[in-house]
Amino acid sequence: MPNIIACFKWVVDEAYIRRTASGELDFSSVDYKIGEYDRNAIEEAVRLKDNLGGSAIALTVGVPEATKGVKDALSRGCDQSCFITDTTYRDLEPSQTAAILAEVIRSRIQNYDLIICGEGSSDLYAQQVGPRLAEKLGIPCISFVQKVSLEEGKLTVERRVEEGIEIIAAPLPALVTVLPDINVPRIPGVKDTLMASRKPMIMIKKDDLAPIGESHLRTASLTAARMERTCERFGTDAAEITRFAESLRKKGVVG
Amino acid sequence: MAGVWIIAENREQTLELLNIACELAADIGTRVAAFLSQDHERVQDYIDCGADEVLVLPPLASDQSIDAYIPIIAEEAKTGDPDLMLLPATMRGKEMAARIAARLDTGLCSCCTALTYDEGSKSPVMERLAHGGAAVQKVTCTTRPAMATIPPRTFEPATPKEDRHGQIRELPAPPPSEVKVLEKKMKERVAKDITEARIIVCAGRGIEKNEDLAFIRQLADALGGEVACTRPIAEEYHWLPEELCIGLSGAQVKPDLYLGIGVSGQVQHLTGIRNAKVIAAVNKDENAPIFRAADFGIVGDLYDVVPKLIAELKK
Ligand SMILES: Cc1cc2nc3c(=O)[nH]c(=O)nc-3n(C[C@H](O)[C@H](O)[C@H](O)COP(=O)(O)OP(=O)(O)OC[C@H]3O[C@@H](n4cnc5c(N)ncnc54)[C@H](O)[C@@H]3O)c2cc1C
Repeated sequence: MPNIIACFKWVVDEAYIRRTASGELDFSSVDYKIGEYDRNAIEEAVRLKDNLGGSAIALTVGVPEATKGVKDALSRGCDQSCFITDTTYRDLEPSQTAAILAEVIRSRIQNYDLIICGEGSSDLYAQQVGPRLAEKLGIPCISFVQKVSLEEGKLTVERRVEEGIEIIAAPLPALVTVLPDINVPRIPGVKDTLMASRKPMIMIKKDDLAPIGESHLRTASLTAARMERTCERFGTDAAEITRFAESLRKKGVVG
Repeated sequence: MAGVWIIAENREQTLELLNIACELAADIGTRVAAFLSQDHERVQDYIDCGADEVLVLPPLASDQSIDAYIPIIAEEAKTGDPDLMLLPATMRGKEMAARIAARLDTGLCSCCTALTYDEGSKSPVMERLAHGGAAVQKVTCTTRPAMATIPPRTFEPATPKEDRHGQIRELPAPPPSEVKVLEKKMKERVAKDITEARIIVCAGRGIEKNEDLAFIRQLADALGGEVACTRPIAEEYHWLPEELCIGLSGAQVKPDLYLGIGVSGQVQHLTGIRNAKVIAAVNKDENAPIFRAADFGIVGDLYDVVPKLIAELKK
């Protein structure tokens, strides 16, 4: 019966990021969430476990506030969680996150068959943690997977590439990153949330681990992308539709 | 040995990367090396287009995928110590780049859309989108080599110059892979290249069923444009091919007119239409974010508005 690890990231909900008049990013009223595509990773781990037996562990590295995300992951059906946390873990880059995850998986989880990551995080979307983690652990990596099947110590997946689909087989343990269309993540109900609070949660502190390396990338600047538009509104009656079409014609974009 | 190295899967990607690689190599004062993994007769072609050296990779076994070259490329980089390594931001390219970066313990700028060389810090400055496209991030890399993946068609392809000479070096064959490609199901490319379209009508999840795309198509015809879509329409519903998806993980378009129908306008989608001359939208929710990003917006039910629009445009 497989032991499956689902990795996720607790991220700023980008819908709440504002742009100030001077073009700065304004994070003052942001909310947080489990990254959009990481929900697919969690869902896939839980589905595989439900079908095959075994267990699903939710794994994340983040700031202490991310404990909310851990509870969310457990309410989405994972059996237990492993949360590595420190106040300095706010702006980790992919190489550092992967190094921390690798050390914890090697030293504390050991017995695992499959690691599932989302296709990319909702905030940085660098799409590196999965492949970097696989390299650190020295296990096979298959990214952009749209279908997973697990059987007798062997993994078979459908991987998407620009030209089509590849069917790929790999020995376990292995790591996959999954595409959003692999499943529809469940929406946890009240009962799920209550059950979640009774599940085992392992917490690991920065000091319990070997020091991580410096970041490789230095952010020289982070500025709000510009999107200035006239934002004119129109109604749906005949006159308004004509006015709308006229506006497009005046701009010279339709004949 | 140093240099700017490029690793791509095919000629189109290689020429594009050669173009930007040559520019940067000139600024850094170094050479350009290109890996070549298939079509070995292309060696001179790559040299003509700017490569000073072509590193020839032996062919793969039929059940191997290009990632089998990772150990060879990483070893080569450990001894060759390049300044910068560039790969295409394709699905395979992104995975390979991250895995090579892990082996070299260095930084990687994913989906880099602009690259310059900073004389002062003597390092490449790489630009990318963050927070779903809400922000532009500029990064430098403090370790060697700096690495970046570049979305296809970000730069023009390099063109051949006359009288170019370069070195050719054969690399060792990759070891057998644990990961086996059992089957490849290639699809035909049916979709048009929407990055070239002048007018785009974009279908969003406000459209209730597949059949209703017919009148989105009629609207596109009335405008003389092409149909494109949001990611859920392509990936969740599979109503349209992925090549028609616009946004952060799809295409960046630059039409004269973008008209979104039943598109909410999440930042990941908007980032793909930033370069449209005019943005227009139809959505029944007056608070939909698309209206803050559009020049002209009709607040209304698309099933009511679209037929009226088609009639109006046919006048
Ligand atoms: C890392 C990451 C990358 C992503 N990359 C992309 C990308 O490249 N491209 C992309 O498109 N998305 C991308 N997304 C997804 C994106 O966040 C949105 O979920 C997606 O764009 C929403 O698509 P939509 O507007 O079609 O659907 P919805 O958000 O569901 O919006 C449907 C809209 O239709 C309106 N509507 C419903 N019925 C009617 C009607 N009868 N008449 C008029 N209006 C109606 C609704 O008011 C609503 O605003 C990405 C997400 C993440 C996390």
